[in-house]
Amino acid sequence: MKKFLAIAAAAAMLIAAAGCSQTANETEGTASDLAYVKDNGMLKIGYTVINPLNYTDDNGELTGFETDFAAAVCEKLGVEPEFHEIDWNSKEMELEAKTIDCIWNGLTIDEDRKAAMSITTPYLENRQVLIMRAEDEAKYTDSVDGANVVAEASSAGDELAVSDEFFANANYTDVQSQATALMEVAAGTADVAVIDYVMATGSVGEGTDFDKLTFVDKDFESEQYGIAFRKGSDITDEVNSIITELVNDGTLKEIADKYELTPLLIAE
Amino acid sequence: MEQWLSLFEGFKYNLILFFVTILCAVPLGLLITFCSMSKFKPLSFVSKVFVWIIRGTPLMLQLFVIYYAPGILFNTPMRSRLIAAIIAFIVNYASYFSEIYRGGIEGIPKGQYEAGQVLGLTKTQVFTKVVLFQVIKRIVPPMGNEIMTLVKDTSLARIIGVGEIMMSAERFSKEGLIWPLFSTGLFFLAMCGILTILFGKLEKKLDYYKS
Repeated sequence: MKKFLAIAAAAAMLIAAAGCSQTANETEGTASDLAYVKDNGMLKIGYTVINPLNYTDDNGELTGFETDFAAAVCEKLGVEPEFHEIDWNSKEMELEAKTIDCIWNGLTIDEDRKAAMSITTPYLENRQVLIMRAEDEAKYTDSVDGANVVAEASSAGDELAVSDEFFANANYTDVQSQATALMEVAAGTADVAVIDYVMATGSVGEGTDFDKLTFVDKDFESEQYGIAFRKGSDITDEVNSIITELVNDGTLKEIADKYELTPLLIAE
Repeated sequence: MEQWLSLFEGFKYNLILFFVTILCAVPLGLLITFCSMSKFKPLSFVSKVFVWIIRGTPLMLQLFVIYYAPGILFNTPMRSRLIAAIIAFIVNYASYFSEIYRGGIEGIPKGQYEAGQVLGLTKTQVFTKVVLFQVIKRIVPPMGNEIMTLVKDTSLARIIGVGEIMMSAERFSKEGLIWPLFSTGLFFLAMCGILTILFGKLEKKLDYYKS
């Protein structure tokens, strides 16, 4: 009796699972993502806090380059932006589960991401820099051989540290977030952190707890930021043409000026 | 100051998670216990498998499944992160509670049921009038342990984007301020301190056989 029940339960679970995946497949092919978002009347935007892209100002308002940019695009799209703070490691799952509609947070465009998601034309440039304790600057600027290197898991820094020859003889570890990477260096548990230029300018140096850290720009190959939508989404094209409009009427440059990111702007 | 405010703001979520979970998981756990101990075999089997699955997988994975699976499998995304987290915590903790209850109930000697029957009480009467209070007394220490763990586990909710205290603190470490992250420990310590005192008092109150 017990055995029979166990088999029956297992079978039921399998059938249920199969049923689920089928319904999901049916709806995916036909539905338009753009129509879905417009029906909802809002675009759910996934972000993490990065000064100056998305952060809270002194009045407690969410602001930043990406925040303003997203609001401007949503206005043209005719929907309300709804910002969701997410865990960066779960971003693809958030998209897939439709708990967010896009990742708009200084997302570096790369081949893997292009294959997994639908990404807009690049609008901002960025590159990875090395963070180290000021006293180590002479030691690690030219070589990180034997040094303990950290970067955020599945970030562009992670990619660089794994693939670039410069890091070939370093002990590399990936950590939870860029903030953790900074803290590792400050605490001496790591020697070098690989993080975004944009983030480095906002978080290292005088007036911060990381004032004993410094950053070295090795002029690594630059990356480009894009906005990621669900794979096959028809919103991407729509947003691309809106970006062009915002470039032409000067709105995007105005936003970049506000956050001193104009030199990095590449959208056309 | 701004940082402390933000930490309090974040801790609000930990407290909501904590109290709602306790409020719902304590009775739900009892229901699961009754199912597991049921004489009706299919019911006790399903209930035991359920407890095995919940206790046998990480709470972190359960959070992922509850928040993301509805959107991925059924195309109906969860609306609220907090509610998804609350569901995951209730289900998880109810399963652990149910095993604590079961241990407590099964620890009562069979002779008491027989004595009750001899005195003309029904099985339900024996349970509610004789057994239940002894069970409560016995499960207080292990429940205290579990509830203490819950206080700290609430910080796991950050992985599905519930803006609890650890997430609030990390926002500052990204901007170059480390102390808020370490200060979060004070909040958990304070909460656990209060609970330790409360449970100590409760145990004393229930210590009626010795006095």
